[in-house]
Formats: sequence, C-alpha cells, structure tokens
Amino acid sequence: MIRVEGLTRRFGDRVAVEGLTFEVREGEIVALLGPNGAGKTTTVRMLACLISPTSGRAWVGGHEVHAEPEAIRAIVGILTETPGLYRRLSARQNLRFFAELYGIQDARDRIEKYLRFFGLWERRDEPVATYSKGMRQKLALARALLHEPRVLLLDEPTAGLDPESARSVREFIAGLKGERRAVLLCTHNLPEAERLCDRILLLRTRLIAQGTPEELKRRLFGTRVVIELANPRPGIDAELRLPVVKSAELAGARLYVEVSDPHRDNPALVRRLVELGAEIVSVREEETTLEDVYHELMGDTDAQG
Amino acid sequence: MRRVKAVLRREWEEAVRIRMVLFSVSFFPLFMVGFAAYLVWQGRSLPPQGQAVLMNTALIYFFVLPVVIPLSIAAYSIVGEKEQGTLEPVLATPIRDWELFLGKALAPVIPGVLISWAAFGIFLIASCLILGGIPPGVLSPPWLLSIFALAPFTALFAVFVTMIVSSRTTDTRAAYQFSSLAVLPALIPLIVYSARLTAVNLIFVGIEVGVLLPLNAVTLYIALRLFRREEILTRWK
Ligand SMILES: Nc1ncnc2c1ncn2[C@@H]1O[C@H](COP(=O)(O)OP(=O)(O)OP(=O)(O)O)[C@@H](O)[C@H]1O
Ligand SMILES: [Mg+2]
Repeated sequence: MIRVEGLTRRFGDRVAVEGLTFEVREGEIVALLGPNGAGKTTTVRMLACLISPTSGRAWVGGHEVHAEPEAIRAIVGILTETPGLYRRLSARQNLRFFAELYGIQDARDRIEKYLRFFGLWERRDEPVATYSKGMRQKLALARALLHEPRVLLLDEPTAGLDPESARSVREFIAGLKGERRAVLLCTHNLPEAERLCDRILLLRTRLIAQGTPEELKRRLFGTRVVIELANPRPGIDAELRLPVVKSAELAGARLYVEVSDPHRDNPALVRRLVELGAEIVSVREEETTLEDVYHELMGDTDAQG
Repeated sequence: MRRVKAVLRREWEEAVRIRMVLFSVSFFPLFMVGFAAYLVWQGRSLPPQGQAVLMNTALIYFFVLPVVIPLSIAAYSIVGEKEQGTLEPVLATPIRDWELFLGKALAPVIPGVLISWAAFGIFLIASCLILGGIPPGVLSPPWLLSIFALAPFTALFAVFVTMIVSSRTTDTRAAYQFSSLAVLPALIPLIVYSARLTAVNLIFVGIEVGVLLPLNAVTLYIALRLFRREEILTRWK
C-alpha cells in the first residue's frame, strides 16, 4: 500500500529525511520511530502529498505521489501532529466540513457512527474549545477515519495524553489490526511501537534499521545471560575467554555475558566458570527491551555525528 | 464547486462566533449609516444644490465599507486557521488549491459587498425621509457605478492584501492593522473630491477602475503564489 524508494527531503541546506526506502503492506501496522527532528512528520507529509520530495519516489495505494496527488489524498487518512480542529465549531460541524471535502455521500450516518464510536456523541453540538485534550484527539482521529481511508498516517496519536486517554487511543489502534488497511504510526514512544506494530522503522534522518521488534532485538544484542555469583572475583570477566562469548562484564555480584545462543552456549559457559573457581547461584537470560535497541542504535549515530 | 461551498459555509459558521467580526459586519455599517444620515440631516434646510454636495460627501463612506467589512473577516479567517493548525488537515483532503483560495476569498467579499449595499440602501431611505426626496444630481450613473461596480473590486483588493499580510503573521491584530492600508484605493474618491470639489464623474470612475484593476491583478498574483499547499505548510509563519 505504501512503497517508498530513496525518498529525500531538504529544507534549504537542512536535510530532513534522506534516502528512505521501505514498504507498508495491507493489514500491517508499522511504526516510524525516531527522536525529535528525525523527520517523521516530514515523511508523513510527503506521503499525504502535502509537501513534495526533493528526490526519490513514493507510491501510495498504487498511485505515485508526484503524478496523482488527488487520488492519494482521497484514500489517505491523516492524523496531523496537532489536532487542527476548528475550536469555535462543534464536533459535528467539524466533521461535516471534512465529509463535504471528501465528498462522502451518507455523511450524517457516518458522522454519527464515529462520534458514537469515540464517545463524543453526547457533546456533538458543543464547541470543540470546551473539549478536553483527549476528546480533541479522538475527534481528530474520527476525522482521519471519516472517509474510510485504506491508508492511515498517524503522527504521534498519543502525544500529550494522560495514561487513560492514551490507552484508549492505543486500544483503538490495536483494533485496526486485521482490517485491510495500511497504518503508518509515528511515535517516539517505544513501548507503544512494540505493542502496536508489526514492524518498526528506526528513523533518524536516514533509516537506521527496520524489522519486527524481535528481529531488531536479536540482530543487535545476541542474548545476554546474567550469572549471579556467590564469590564475585574482580577480573573473572576478563579471564572468561571463550569463542562463544561476545562480551562479559562483572557488575557487583552479577556477571553479564553475551552469547549468540544460550541453549547451545550456556553449558560451556558454566563449565568454564566453575573451572575459574566461581560459585554459581543462578543463571538466567536477560530480556532486552526495545529501549535498549533504540539507545544502542541512536547512540551509534550520535557518535558518528 | 461543492468544496468551495463547503469552505464558504464553514467560514461563515465560524465568523458568526467571533465578536470582532460580528461587530465589524453589524455595528460598524450601522454607525457609518448613522453618521452619513446625520450629515444629511444637518443640511436639511440648505437649498437642493447644497444638499446634493453634502450627500455626495456622505456617499464616500460607502466606498470605505466594502473594504473595512471584509478586512476583519479575512484577517480572522486566515490567522485563525494558522493559530488552530487547521490548514494541514484541510490540505490533506482532495480539495484543490484554487478551491480553497476561492472559498477563502469569497467568504469575506460576499457579506462585505452585500452589507455595504444594504447600508447604502438604508442611507438612501433615511435621506429620502429627512429631505423629502433625493436632491437632483446625487444618484447620477457615475455614483451608482462607483458604489455598485467598484465595491466588489475594492473588497477583493482588501481580501488579497489581507491574505498576503496574514500569511506572514500569527497576530490577528497586526494582520488587521497592516491590511488596513488596503483602504487607500477606496479613499481616492475622497481625495479627488476634496481637492477638486466636483461630484464624481465618468472620467473619475474610469481612473478608479484603472487603478483598481492592476492593483487587484498584482495582489491576486502574489496571493495565489502564497496559496500553494507546499508554501502554506513550509513557509507560512
Ligand atoms: N518547514 C520547514 N522548514 C525548515 N525546516 C524544516 C521544516 N519542517 C521540518 N524541518 C526540519 O526537518 C527536520 C525534521 O523535522 P520533522 O518535523 O519531520 O521531525 P519529527 O521527526 O516529526 O520530529 P518531532 O518528533 O519533534 O515531531 C527538522 O530538522 C526540522 O527542523
Ligand atoms: Mg513530528
């Protein structure tokens, strides 16, 4: 549904995104994960044909962004960075305006359906200015969905919401899974990306890595094994020297050892430790979180400048 | 046209909720009518010739109205969208740039011109009542032409200027004040009139058109260039 090849956008001398290549298929929810200024909003704007790429190509729903912007806008729903609602108008007036712009036939029913769905029906005729932030975000989501778009671009849908509202928005997004849409979700919230998305694109101007959360974790850190010692002896980590050990570090009573496959490598590791006189209390695998992956990758690019 | 209509409707739904806009479309024209009528009332005992001079002077207010009314609507319309961040979701719909532009331009011009004409009508009725009839030489074709044919152009000019100014500021008041300069072409009659003390004639209307058309063309060109999707999202402050 979304295909991007070498997409680049500059603002004057500043490169906002460079050489982006990725794909989002039907039925998939993909996260565009990156820190402030990574180029998430810029990417989404290019895909919604709001701004044009400096170079590279992109297709949305089979239409190319240069060639058929109107066809793309008709099938794309976008939740912009700020809700962008007419605050003096009511929820209904807001949605009716957009229904007219999208040329929706059964606008009344459609508006009622989404206002009820997001629990805004009771307050449909009050000005948006009187809504809470969470209600506004929901109304903005309703607006993005009004024309039943096949491609959904969500720019930080839970930013600035309290945990309760954020959760209900996340539940809604999770519910989009299994519908025949392609969803691209911009976020810098790691747990959100991990929980909601099938795949993650790590972005910092360039695409740094992509894959399922599991793949990203495995690719980056083999697996860490944590061994608790009864008699931690400084220097034991350096003496470990085994081919299967990628790295070892003693911290307090814990020895952190990185191996590629714990099932295969742990017995040898334990044998070697016993040889070195270690008294082992416990051996367990450490969970790597996506957060570790994120900091590892983003930290790397920091170092490169 | 469906989308232009949608823009117009939304603009008006919003405008009626803004106090400043309501003021400028209701009290301000009424105030001008009252002022003009007062002028006529003061000359009620003059000979018809003197009454005609006074009335022609009063008519000049009705040149200013079609500029001032759209100004405030337009300033709120554009700065308001920028403040609320509503342009981006609108531009993400299949609306074309020109449809949005047309809706935005007509939204202030239509009520501006209609209300000006209505105010003019009320003034004429009031003068009729005060003087017991319209003095000869007042409702000459050049005058009527100026009021009815020029109003849309002065109004459009005001709107284009406001669009250009508003794209550069997020402060409604600043937009409004800067754009008020757009009233200048509408003041030409006043200037000519006070310099030569002659009633408006056809040559004069011709000059006014000759000034307004190029001004409208230039400001339209600039406003259209500013009103492109990309420009709005990346360059507008
Ligand atoms: N209109 C613009 N003019 C100049 N530079 C811009 C413009 N829009 C974005 N940029 C620059 O492009 C880069 C990427 O910005 P973008 O808004 O896409 O980041 P983001 O990933 O959405 O960040 P955030 O998480 O803060 O929303 C930034 O360096 C930004 O300053
Ligand atoms: Mg952003």
